[in-house]
Amino acid sequence: MFYLSKIEHKFALPPHLLARPIREAIQSELERLFLDKVIQKLGLCISVYDITSIEGGSIFPGAGAPTYQVVFNLIMFRPFPGEIISAKVMSLDADGVRLSLGFFEDIYIPTHHMPYPSYYISKNNTRKWTWEYGEETDEFNIEISNEVIRFQVLSVSYPTIPVEQAKESKPFAPMVVNGSLYHEGLGPVSWWQ
Amino acid sequence: MSLVRFYLLLEMKILEENAGALTNFEVLDFLRAKGASKDPSRVLAKVAMSEYKVYDYLVKTPAGSQTRESVKEYFTAIKQHDLSEAEVLNVLNIRPASEVEIYHIIEDCEERFPDEEVTEIVEKVGNTLPAPPDKATPEEITKGDEETETQKHDEISQDQTEDGEQMDTS
Repeated sequence: MFYLSKIEHKFALPPHLLARPIREAIQSELERLFLDKVIQKLGLCISVYDITSIEGGSIFPGAGAPTYQVVFNLIMFRPFPGEIISAKVMSLDADGVRLSLGFFEDIYIPTHHMPYPSYYISKNNTRKWTWEYGEETDEFNIEISNEVIRFQVLSVSYPTIPVEQAKESKPFAPMVVNGSLYHEGLGPVSWWQ
Repeated sequence: MSLVRFYLLLEMKILEENAGALTNFEVLDFLRAKGASKDPSRVLAKVAMSEYKVYDYLVKTPAGSQTRESVKEYFTAIKQHDLSEAEVLNVLNIRPASEVEIYHIIEDCEERFPDEEVTEIVEKVGNTLPAPPDKATPEEITKGDEETETQKHDEISQDQTEDGEQMDTS
């Protein structure tokens, strides 16, 4: 799920941080710049792991802040295809299920990767996906709850930022994980105990 | 709900896309060293909100009860088996407790490993890695009656050695 990525970044250190020891100031600024942000192909940045080197510190003409060139390692959340991850159901609809890890919420299981055969049922204020296993028709359900669901990662995609978005559409997700619940052992943990 | 924002960084260079994989435990360990914890003093630590969300997630997974020694032991023990790096990681992060769970994690398991080896792997996982946080406390409320305790243990081990998916009978 997690990888280290080594980054080199040149940036200006805001003057209000200059009273602090240099490492602390740079750590603080790096966290402000990278934490909880998505970098294409690298994933979601979780933490600044360490700072390898700090160079520079010169103030360019016309600038009010010193510029530093820093090499550092970031902890990135980047699930690999085939990885099995535990998550919780965030929402469901006829197109599939959306799962969440708390710190990352754009995990989608499309209809054709639900256990086979499954049906989406929406009535009386309850919405659920039901898996028909053998004779059982109401035993295996996926609903919004605190239950732990295991899914397998199919792919991770980084859609490009749309230039314009319709007002009603979902907020743009820079990183999307596509998953599957198809194989044995996936789905709510309670199904397999 | 945290909104993941996209950031265009012009002066940023990726030196190494993959400078090493981290196990769930290593990330949890890192956050703990930074000061993350479950008790109320957590607000004083220099841990960001988004980092805390990762901590809160990991602490409930099997990594939550793992230790450095147990993870080291696991890596040594698992080396004897022909598992890919991804499978070693998956097994560590999920901590399967039975053969059935292993079949789900390891591709073509029945073709690559004889049944005895699969049982061996399950045993090694059970011996080196502690039980996940939610299973660490005993499920039965034993009332100090020794006879019923041993009886219940026998029942549990019987359930586990039977093949196939068994519905939870307790």
